[in-house]
Amino acid sequence: MVQGLVRLTLLAVLVLSGCAVTPPAEKTEPVTADTELRGSPAMALLSRAEQARAQGQTGAASRYLERALTMAPNSSWLYRELALLRLEEGDGHAAEGFAQRALRLAPDNDDYRAELWELVAAARAEQGDRSGADEARARAQALRKPDRA
Amino acid sequence: MAKNAKKPASARKGSARRPAKSGNKRNTRSGARRWFSWRFIAKVSVVLLVLAAAGLAYLDAYVRDRFDSHVWQLPARVYARPVELYPGRVLARNDMLKMLELMRYRRAGGAPTPGSYTTDGNTLVIHTRGFRDSDGGEPAQRIRVTLGGGQVRALSSNDGDSLARLEPLQIGSIHPGHTEDRVFVPLDRVPPLLVQMLLATEDRDFYEHHGVSPRGLARAMVANVKAGALVQGGSTLTQQLVKNFWLTQDRTLARKLVEMPMAVLLELHYSKEQILEAYLNEVYLGQDGKRAIHGMGLGAQFYFGRPLEELEPHQLATLVALLKGPSYYDPRRNPERSLARRNTVLKVALEEGALSDQEYRRFRERDLEVVPRGASPLYAFPAFIDLVRRQLARDYPADVLGEEGLRIHSTLDVLAQLASEKALSEHLNSLDASGDALNGAVVVVAPAQGDVLALVGSRESRAQGFNRALDATRPMGSLVKPVVMLTALQQPKRYSLATPVADEPITVPLTTGKKWTPQNFDGESKGPIPLVDALAYSRNQATVRLGMELGPDAVVRTLSQLGVKKTIPAYPSILLGSIGMTPFEVAMLYQPLATGGFATPLRSITDVLDKEGEPLARYPVDTEEVIDSGPAYLIQWGMQQVIEKGTARSARSVLPPDLKVAGKTGTSDEYRDAWFAGFSGNHLSVVWVGRDNNENARVTGSSGALPVWSRLMAGLPQTSLSQVPPPGVEKVWMDPSGEKTSGKGCSGAREYPMLEASIPDQSDGCGSATQVKEGVVEWFKGWFD
Repeated sequence: MVQGLVRLTLLAVLVLSGCAVTPPAEKTEPVTADTELRGSPAMALLSRAEQARAQGQTGAASRYLERALTMAPNSSWLYRELALLRLEEGDGHAAEGFAQRALRLAPDNDDYRAELWELVAAARAEQGDRSGADEARARAQALRKPDRA
Repeated sequence: MAKNAKKPASARKGSARRPAKSGNKRNTRSGARRWFSWRFIAKVSVVLLVLAAAGLAYLDAYVRDRFDSHVWQLPARVYARPVELYPGRVLARNDMLKMLELMRYRRAGGAPTPGSYTTDGNTLVIHTRGFRDSDGGEPAQRIRVTLGGGQVRALSSNDGDSLARLEPLQIGSIHPGHTEDRVFVPLDRVPPLLVQMLLATEDRDFYEHHGVSPRGLARAMVANVKAGALVQGGSTLTQQLVKNFWLTQDRTLARKLVEMPMAVLLELHYSKEQILEAYLNEVYLGQDGKRAIHGMGLGAQFYFGRPLEELEPHQLATLVALLKGPSYYDPRRNPERSLARRNTVLKVALEEGALSDQEYRRFRERDLEVVPRGASPLYAFPAFIDLVRRQLARDYPADVLGEEGLRIHSTLDVLAQLASEKALSEHLNSLDASGDALNGAVVVVAPAQGDVLALVGSRESRAQGFNRALDATRPMGSLVKPVVMLTALQQPKRYSLATPVADEPITVPLTTGKKWTPQNFDGESKGPIPLVDALAYSRNQATVRLGMELGPDAVVRTLSQLGVKKTIPAYPSILLGSIGMTPFEVAMLYQPLATGGFATPLRSITDVLDKEGEPLARYPVDTEEVIDSGPAYLIQWGMQQVIEKGTARSARSVLPPDLKVAGKTGTSDEYRDAWFAGFSGNHLSVVWVGRDNNENARVTGSSGALPVWSRLMAGLPQTSLSQVPPPGVEKVWMDPSGEKTSGKGCSGAREYPMLEASIPDQSDGCGSATQVKEGVVEWFKGWFD
């Protein structure tokens, strides 16, 4: 009960000070590296990974991302980045696996989840799994808002 | 060998000359054949000249060929994972200091050079050593790390990012087929003082002579005549190199005779710098069991545990002192002799002006400061190195591993390894003080990426030999039960964690005509119990009943779904774990359970780099969804009950109270094998304890293996298993029958996570209104509970 009061006070202070206290079920905010990793040291490694990837150094990018994952093991975004990287390297199997892992950890955001299903579809296509790719694409479609689809 | 076949070329020359001379004497005595004698001598001389010329030409070609094509025997080196430092990383101050000590960082005010550090309360200034990695690696730099509350609080480095890495610790080398070991150091990285000391003591005229030093030889001759034997070589460095490179070590005149022309030829073709570099990397400096220590680079590591570049003058002098006789002047075995010789070298360095008077006086007061032999992390983890070697052997032929100086970056976490070794040996010592009955093995994995963090193959972890973690195939016992339960949970219309299972006697007719009547561990039968309790309390009869309902072949399919490659016959006995598995295979099997359904091959290697540090190969993480999120969550939840209230509840008193972990005990027939396999959010550990002769070990999973597991897990930085149910899973209160929904507080009602397909339509009519979906209201309510 005392704890409850403390929390109530804290909540009041936060609300009064104008901080945006929103329940976790916020759906409109787009998912980005920043929403996922803000304040994490993994952010620095992610940006190094992006640089390395831009220079075609996929091996180095992969190493950066794997290191980042040990710092932020529950980041959907990092798994998504690994999936994209593996896809670029032509490893559809791992790309699909990482996209699925990204989905498991994905925040409740339909656009983001749809994007991940597209990634699964691409990874399946890369492996020659057409029907699997179609199925994943259908899941992506279902998640997209009608006006965007 | 080729080199022995070549030697006679010169030996022939030497021996041919002597008969010629004696022939001359004989002719003088006879007198009559003088004319013939002169002609004979002339002929012989011509023949000899031609022979000598041919011999020289041959030697010349030989020397050049061997020098140009010389392949340094550079074994592949294996490194642990680099210590990653960033704010929030769990790292106790003691562990940080332990790592620095293992890596032989020295304490020095201001941390002036790479490999040094200084402490100021909870803040450490560390001057890191640079290293190469597939992501470029790290420069040597001074970092400031503040520790507190068991973690890194703050970190600042040169590049402004708040993260840094300490160089990976070398934990072994792989040299198949030969026993030479060395760390190649190019001349420009050799401390100039070492070269000055070397030349001053071994070969003063090095830069003047042409391979042979008549002055040096004269000095040696005098010494040899005095002693009446060959006691001194008087060899130049070039000659010593020739001796080491091409010739055998025996001191024969023939060798001496061929050594000199070879030294001269070597000098003709190669620069002094090339010869010096070869010498510094070739010279023999001692023996470590079967391993021959070659070159100053490895010498520095072997005797001082540090890179050559970091050695201080008195340490460099100790290395130079060894050249006179690596065994006689061994600083570990003969410290007085070594010290006296070292001081002589320092004195010579002073006389040559390489050291100032003040430096000389300071460094001659220093102790030898050699590291104890057993203290080196090199070769300290034989079981893990064994795993690395096996994984490498699939991709690299033996000669590449032995010669090319590959750098293998492994996944070993030194702190996890040490914690595992300690947990196993301490517990086994308490169970079996004599030390000869019980043994064990531990495998620790970071399940998300499949990284093998630690591997212990014996209670005496330093001992080479039987690697139980990889090679002890033992019945897995009840470790198979989660697989049986998962088989059921993947059929949500038929089974949930609440489904009643009869823990009652059962007799299974076998194809052999015999009958199998499994018993429970306590000899009792509990009657109908929820499926999760059959797991939590490891009920054999309930599991066999469930397994026979599912069919052993269905369980075999789940095993293969989880990644088991070997063929497992679908006998009923597999339901109680008659399947033989090694601890490593168990870790592979449990890995997808630990990650919520993603199979990732276990790896012990992340990267292979060449000797310059250029990346050659990556071993990237691979992953595949093998279990749907729903059943994967349910089985994890079930395995958490094993620890919350079941056969492994004793772990609770050892682990942090709020840490959510899951696992399973295993005991094979007649107490031969004790197992525990379990995981947190970031560590999966498998422990096996038993006897090598497969006799009754008088241990159970709970008494033999679980204490090791708990202590080990308590010693590692842990994160909890996620308690958030995936989509399609709800927490539901069920009535005691497990067939109707109920409500919180209703008699006998228990809450289970359920797949939607498993939730019965029927309610027992008690408190069903309490079932409210989580939402914004719930979230706000949570603040006040």
